[in-house]
Amino acid sequence: MDFEFSAQEQKVLKQVRAFIKSEVTPELQAESLAIGYCYGGKLGREFVRKFAANGWLVPNWPEEYGGLGASAMLTFAIKEELAYIMPLIFVAAHMAGPTIMHFGSDEMKKQWLLPIARGEVEFALGYTEPWAGSDLSALQIEAVDQGDHFVLNGQKTFNTHTHVADYHWLAAITDPDAKRYKNMSMMIVDLKTPGITIRPLITMAGWQTNEVFYDNVVVSKENLVGEMNQGFYYLMAALDYERMFPLGSYRRLFEEIVQYAKETVVGGRPLSKDPLVRQKLAQLAIELEANKLIFFRLAHIIDEGKIPNYETSMQKLFATELAQKIANTGMEILGLYSQLKKESKWAALSGQVEHRYRWSVVETIYAGTSEIQRNIMALRGLKLPSK
Amino acid sequence: MNYDLNKTQTILKEEAHRFLAKECPSDFVREMADDETGYSKKLWQKMAELDWMGVLIPEQYGGMGGNFLDLTVLLSEMGYHCMPGPYFCSVVLGGLTILEAGSDKQKADILPLLARGKRILTLAWVEPEGTYVPEGIKLSAKLHEGQYILSGTKLFVPYAHVADTLICVARTGKEKQGKNTGLTLFVVDPKQKGVRIEPLITMAGDKQSEVAFENVAVSSDSVLGSPDQGWSVLKKVLQMAAVAKCGEMIGGARRAMDMAIPYVKGREQFGRPVAAFQAVQHHCANMLTYADTIKLMTYQAAWRISEGLPFEKEASMCKAWGSDSYRQLVALAHQVIGGMGFMEEYDLQLYFKHAKSAEQTLGDADFHREWVACEMGM
Repeated sequence: MDFEFSAQEQKVLKQVRAFIKSEVTPELQAESLAIGYCYGGKLGREFVRKFAANGWLVPNWPEEYGGLGASAMLTFAIKEELAYIMPLIFVAAHMAGPTIMHFGSDEMKKQWLLPIARGEVEFALGYTEPWAGSDLSALQIEAVDQGDHFVLNGQKTFNTHTHVADYHWLAAITDPDAKRYKNMSMMIVDLKTPGITIRPLITMAGWQTNEVFYDNVVVSKENLVGEMNQGFYYLMAALDYERMFPLGSYRRLFEEIVQYAKETVVGGRPLSKDPLVRQKLAQLAIELEANKLIFFRLAHIIDEGKIPNYETSMQKLFATELAQKIANTGMEILGLYSQLKKESKWAALSGQVEHRYRWSVVETIYAGTSEIQRNIMALRGLKLPSK
Repeated sequence: MNYDLNKTQTILKEEAHRFLAKECPSDFVREMADDETGYSKKLWQKMAELDWMGVLIPEQYGGMGGNFLDLTVLLSEMGYHCMPGPYFCSVVLGGLTILEAGSDKQKADILPLLARGKRILTLAWVEPEGTYVPEGIKLSAKLHEGQYILSGTKLFVPYAHVADTLICVARTGKEKQGKNTGLTLFVVDPKQKGVRIEPLITMAGDKQSEVAFENVAVSSDSVLGSPDQGWSVLKKVLQMAAVAKCGEMIGGARRAMDMAIPYVKGREQFGRPVAAFQAVQHHCANMLTYADTIKLMTYQAAWRISEGLPFEKEASMCKAWGSDSYRQLVALAHQVIGGMGFMEEYDLQLYFKHAKSAEQTLGDADFHREWVACEMGM
């Protein structure tokens, strides 16, 4: 056993930290925050290209596809480092890319993986529909086979990245007569294609997600991922990558809350000397430690050449429930000040905590709700029967 | 990072599992709860022959020269089988204290016998205030004509009634504000005049005693470590032993799952296995999270101890998390197994009791969260 990073990994992480420190400007932070940490804004794209030029976006990809041929451990550690400063979400590099690597044709790999690795293109997830949330097998959007292309009609919802990304990583029904799980395909759609309409939906975190309407949209068959009608399995694989959840940004918020408790004097003593506050903050530190262990366990499993089973769901579940606890505990410790938004006079910790409190609501919902994660752990991990 | 046990540890674990499955069935666990001594000399000697008493003891003292992670692996199997007896107090509490604080002579006198299973140690720490903190130690040791005179009462002393050696924590000086000084450790023969041992009757059936010291005179040779500096030894022993206790929890948690999961798969209600109900599935998923995180938190802390790295924070994190999680896991096992699990004849009750006892031993979650808070600079 060994619970520390190797000397080589630590060396790279030091470089990553230094790079982030020098390259992440207040303007970049502001832009990223404004678009909900989707990667796609002007400054964000510049930053990501520079970051990716070091191979750090996809360190564990082979060199021919723009990676470093490094370990999943290093990859996870870099994700956590970046998330600590700026929790950017990478759909192409961290969700679609690995799926293409596993299931895509050689042509598709050649076409897409290098630009993804270089941070030149970003995808948006195209899964959820008004009648298909937790049950993604209930999709309705249809892609009709027209020989060398598909024609798509239908609607997606909560497709968060679509207004800033370049391509839609889309799941669509390609065989409406087939059984569940055997009826859909994954494809890559240029979001500028005629017939696509994007309408904003604004979340309680103040961020934009979208409804996306497809009206006779033509998509070349070259953009089909893997085999026809196998899309459900690719989607499940991509979801597993999405669920490997770096908690760095919440870890940082937690550290700021601890600092606040040390510096804020109430009733003649710092909040951090209040036994209740100490208990709450220590408990969060303990859970962060447990999360760290189950997060890097995923990398360890991958580096052993295995595919994580229930462990991915466990980590997503644990991390996101902890995220909400951190936000809520922050609200409790800031007390009345916690309500004040960053624009307000007297705002504490720049209003971050109230924002995080609103934002964290979605953590236990997207990429599979906590209930779905527990189902997966029970069925896949413990082999419990589904009926 | 590497999450795998090495080959030696894997073999140790498998052998311990097989050995205890045969030698320590649940009937034996129940029998020992009713037995006055609370352990079997025969089994004790067999374990000594397997070198289990000497896991942590260096080879020069006749031990196996293993590391703390090896010990943790072994304890996880003892936890799986809910193994009764003085192993923990003798090898872990006693052994660690001697290793930490003993002089060469004390080590040479005690460790070889401990390693061979010929000498049982225990640590007399807690007093009627019921706390592990230094302020709770009132038992006095006063120098009188070159001897120390011990007076006071120890409680919750594990297996004192069968111990050959007591390590007694006594107050030799004043507690200086926040300095934690004035505590001294003594090696005491329980057969000495003035030592009175009375058994307590515990929920989990493990043996604990009240040990009263009535003007017990001990020589200055029996001081373990530096006079007045006992707390730094005790604190380290507590943190290491707390991790070792979590080692037992790893196994106990796994055993509770091994009872609950097959049970819910086999038990049918409303025409289907109860395991097919989502409410039950979610309880089981939560148990799985507890089991995995107890294991990883414990292995990480044990690994740090083995490697000689700072471990104080990880150790307290591990005991706080393990204490809460093991109890909650067993409670969920009870919930999904239902009425059957409430029966004395069903083994789950042994683990329910063990979980609470392990939680309270060496500091519960509140206690260790406070230590974590200190480590966080709060």
